[in-house]
Amino acid sequence: MRKERDGISVEWVKLELLRTAYATRGGLLAARDPRFVIGWYLIFAVVPWFTHNITVLAALFTVCAAAVFLSRVGPLVLGLFVIGFVLESLYVLFAAWLFGGDMSTVLALVVLTLKLATISLASMAAFVSLDPEKLSDGLLSMHAPAMLSFGVSYGYRMLPVLMEEFHTVVDGHRLRSAPLAAKGFLGWRVVVRTATTLVQAFYPLMLNTAKRTRTTVEALETKGFTYAAEHPDGRRIRLAHLRADHRDVLLIAVTLLLVAASFALGHAYPLQAGVG
Amino acid sequence: MAESSRPTTPPTRSDAPRRPGPPELSSAQKLMVFVLSMTLFGLANIVTEVIPEVRVGPVEVGVSYLAFVPVIMVALFNPLYAALGAPLGEVVFVDLLMGDFSGIGELEGYLQMFLGLYIAGCLVRDPRSPRQLFAAGAVVVIVDKMLSAVVDIAKVSVGVDDAEFVPGLPQSILLLEGIDFVVALLVSGILFGALPAMALAPRLYGKIEPLLGLAPRDPGHPMPLAQRGTAAFMLLALFLSFVSMIAAFTSEIFDNFGVWEPDFIEQYGDRFLWIGASAALIVLVALAVAVRFVLASRRARAAQGSHGPDAQNTGERR
Repeated sequence: MRKERDGISVEWVKLELLRTAYATRGGLLAARDPRFVIGWYLIFAVVPWFTHNITVLAALFTVCAAAVFLSRVGPLVLGLFVIGFVLESLYVLFAAWLFGGDMSTVLALVVLTLKLATISLASMAAFVSLDPEKLSDGLLSMHAPAMLSFGVSYGYRMLPVLMEEFHTVVDGHRLRSAPLAAKGFLGWRVVVRTATTLVQAFYPLMLNTAKRTRTTVEALETKGFTYAAEHPDGRRIRLAHLRADHRDVLLIAVTLLLVAASFALGHAYPLQAGVG
Repeated sequence: MAESSRPTTPPTRSDAPRRPGPPELSSAQKLMVFVLSMTLFGLANIVTEVIPEVRVGPVEVGVSYLAFVPVIMVALFNPLYAALGAPLGEVVFVDLLMGDFSGIGELEGYLQMFLGLYIAGCLVRDPRSPRQLFAAGAVVVIVDKMLSAVVDIAKVSVGVDDAEFVPGLPQSILLLEGIDFVVALLVSGILFGALPAMALAPRLYGKIEPLLGLAPRDPGHPMPLAQRGTAAFMLLALFLSFVSMIAAFTSEIFDNFGVWEPDFIEQYGDRFLWIGASAALIVLVALAVAVRFVLASRRARAAQGSHGPDAQNTGERR
């Protein structure tokens, strides 16, 4: 094994990306039927918009945060989410202060942030742990276009090939070009060189991918792909493996109960952010 | 199936005058354009993920997407299928595979990108003309970011009780959106959109289409006027809805109108009429476009129906 990780190499980044894409996922919602997981998500994506009551929103937020914890979302995704939200809120707060906001501005922003954060957390809990093919089957069963699930399957298989090819092309470019004489101020020459290489690498890549796409599509069409994708029988066979059991129903029931409890709590201890 | 998956014959001189537009695609070719556009933009997005970004506050000075890839696709191929495929590539490759799928938010992003790309693709008549490619690159980002600004503002006005009365909130949201818009237009739209597209599209023109068994886009037979007209109309409608949204949002700031009362015509005067008129216009235009699209797709389906029995299975849906 050769010595590596002296700095972040392209190879390492590539491996890291592949690891993210193909890692086994698990957790609370991963084992459930995808249709019910989507339903679960939709509850939390819609409900927060119906209230301005901070108590209700905080309760909903807590439920979603617990769900994220139970779904074993990775620290990277979670960290990015937290940093993004904190920065965004700080900046809006600063801008609001600049234009002469007061306490009501802060409260209004808290409401908005809680709503958006609840929805983001719900989507994380639902979809990060779910296998992409399972998710696309769930969407297909809800009459999403067949192209979506095809795209997922295709992408799943082509991703490593494409990344490998892109890397080869970029390496070829680097081999054929002379090293930079000077880096320039703040390394701007390096930035420009990297950007142009990136763009130029897409030229052969587009031609190669076009050839490969034609092969794939003609092979698919010979087997009647478009026909099967849209024929009811094809759909039925494809989705036959989706089975819901009592635990899925339980999931939705518990969720609805929790949402109702949140609203009851908000009714009992209201904390309203209003101008009045 | 053999009937429809055979590549359409290149536009022979005899059928050129009958059809003013580019040749109709077979279902296999639609799928090819779709998949190619999806794959390439997906890959471009993975590359974007790797590029580091500089964050100044909430404003990202980074490449939000390599817009030149889908711009080239819609400039060279049928804009409808290329524009349908490209944003799906982003959803599939980056969001689903990398575990970053955000539910309804994805739909919003998909529609924004699709509209931008479709309009841009219809504007390009000759992929060798740098001017049209430049316009296309800019239009993609303008439409995309304008729509996302509208969605963001709508989120604030729905999510916050009486958002326009909260001191400082509307201005700060507008400021943020404005900065984001300018940065995206410069970096994603021009530097990584229009300029690379101007360099690459003319070289790919005539080389990449035969690989898919397609004829290159012929400037002599542009997109039918109706379709181009539709694009211009859509652009206008988007712009108007944007303006009306901003106007509605800021009307409370600039003039202290107080409360919403039944006699608002006197209070709001001309401005309200303008907003109402533009809203009506937008609805009207949207309706006209929708009807036109439905009619066109029905006609296309009927035309294919005369070719073979599998007419309704040719992916016209969506």
